[in-house]
Amino acid sequence: MQAYLLRRLIAIPFMLIGITLLLFFLLFLRPGNAALTNFGLVNPDQACDKGERGTYQSTGSGCEGGLARLEKEYGLDRPFFVQYGDWAIHAIQGDFGLSLKNRRSISAQIGERLPTTIEIGIITIILSTLIGVPVGIISAIRPGSWIDGTLRITTIIGISVPNFWVGTLAIMLPALWWGWTPLARSYVNFVDSPLTNLSIVIWPALVLAIGSAAYVARIVRSSMLETLYADFTRTARAKGLTERIVVLRHVFRSSMITVLTVIGVQLGAILGGSVIAEQIFAVPGLGLLIFEAIMGIDYTLVLGGMTMFALMFMIVTLAVDLLYTLVDPRIRY
Amino acid sequence: MSEISNTTGPPPLHELEVMPPKRRLDGLRRFLKQQRLGSFGAIIIIIIVFGAIAAPILHTSDPREFGENILVSPSGENWFGTNRDGRDVWSRVLYGGRVSLKIGLATVILTILGGTLIALVAGYLGGIFDFILSRMGDILIAFPSILFALTLRASIGEDMPGLGSFLPADELLLVVAICVVFTPVIFRIMRGNVLEQRNTTYVEAARVIGAPESRIMLRHILPNLLGLMIIVTSTTLPAAILTESGLSFLGVGVDIGTPSWGADLSGNARIYFSRAPWIAIFPGLALSVTVLAFNLLGDALRDALDPRLRGQK
Repeated sequence: MQAYLLRRLIAIPFMLIGITLLLFFLLFLRPGNAALTNFGLVNPDQACDKGERGTYQSTGSGCEGGLARLEKEYGLDRPFFVQYGDWAIHAIQGDFGLSLKNRRSISAQIGERLPTTIEIGIITIILSTLIGVPVGIISAIRPGSWIDGTLRITTIIGISVPNFWVGTLAIMLPALWWGWTPLARSYVNFVDSPLTNLSIVIWPALVLAIGSAAYVARIVRSSMLETLYADFTRTARAKGLTERIVVLRHVFRSSMITVLTVIGVQLGAILGGSVIAEQIFAVPGLGLLIFEAIMGIDYTLVLGGMTMFALMFMIVTLAVDLLYTLVDPRIRY
Repeated sequence: MSEISNTTGPPPLHELEVMPPKRRLDGLRRFLKQQRLGSFGAIIIIIIVFGAIAAPILHTSDPREFGENILVSPSGENWFGTNRDGRDVWSRVLYGGRVSLKIGLATVILTILGGTLIALVAGYLGGIFDFILSRMGDILIAFPSILFALTLRASIGEDMPGLGSFLPADELLLVVAICVVFTPVIFRIMRGNVLEQRNTTYVEAARVIGAPESRIMLRHILPNLLGLMIIVTSTTLPAAILTESGLSFLGVGVDIGTPSWGADLSGNARIYFSRAPWIAIFPGLALSVTVLAFNLLGDALRDALDPRLRGQK
């Protein structure tokens, strides 16, 4: 167990190196782009006209000199691996550098946005477990019954409906019927006002939870069906336990491992889905931050944000793997 | 003596020859009978594919053409109403299906073939190949798919050539981005199966008679992966369609103006949704029904082909 944990922990930094190298390669494939972005432009021909706050403003043919100076300031003229090494050394210390666009510390921006996304993620996971697990159990207890049929159709619809459409309807329909919409409120921190914050964050979480809960329910159902007729379940029934105890204590416990896997997988999907949900409801989370950074070609910010997302994903995956041992004593690492 | 062998031995040859086609039809009939929902999904898919192919005949006006009557509610003339540019929503939904199905199909073919072949190499050869390919997969899987596809698009976007009018640059870019995101997932599933197959007796037998590695991989193991490939295809296709429309919804999918279910729900159109809900309802409904149909069929195929995999994804 300890050896396994150690092996996994050692793997994380190597994974991170791979992840950041890949991002670095993708984002700095074409040098010069990033420097140009600082002028708020992608087109080099216009770079001369709009210098940022006059600092790098250059006139006429001196324009290219201005760009080169900018590249130099950001170190973009250095070789690829030198740039990477420099970035990595700072990143280890929690310093992701400055955003190209607004020159604010990226770590600070991530720090502001991350709690919101984590909050959405946690609420979504709680909701989808609370809905998905009971639905899956009810569905599995009497397979083939009308209630199972109804739930199966409901859950397959749940995984089919795109979250951005559900989100769109969630904004549109109340506006249409009651002239009210869950959108368009200024965002408040959880610390400042928990209730107002929850009333905002609940909407993206609800939208994400629909697909997630349906997915969880389907997996719970199929994994319970497998164990409902296993040998150990028959033994439990044979020794006279009530069906209720058989289901809750034996069947459910053994399908917990699948549930755990699914929730782990879902968290990855939810992190991805948060981009869309945050965008629809205009909730300022990490997903929206990165999305805007990608659209604005703010490459340093994309690099920092994506690294953060990947790190979160790896930590969750590791946590799920470790939880296995708690749920299933047969698993020994 | 001959009578005894007739009753206990294998049936005579002429009966055997009749068997295969009969059994195949029986299989289809059994599928239609036992998998009602799956058959229902298949019918919907046929209708949607027909609608997409026959869009030039079925449409009522050019989906890209600006009309004078904007935000008209559904009527006899504009079945699904018109949008803020006066474009006919019915025609756009029809043509949007073309984009979704085209990108979905292209993505699925490439990812399934690519993922399976890479998995064959990694799983069968093992060693350093397996280690490197698996770690690369781990790295790609660690990113949220939509964001990574976005990053790819931002990175390689301007260098992407088009493939004529069949797959223009914007659509090819979507295909590439979705492929990169999906292939590691397919790779993982297929690799596990290759590892299983590698230790079976038939592979050992092939090796014993001196078959080269490439032959064992392509002629022996690959055919045994076909069932799983079909199942994975049925879950990947709806996922690919959802990702395409998700990216288009974020405004980074197809070019502006191209009819697309995702793109028609996004951007400035959102301002008009509460005034003209049909703009939002019909493309989303078409998308949901398509994905649902593929999921229904996929579930049924999974049940029919491999009961062990029921409910997994």
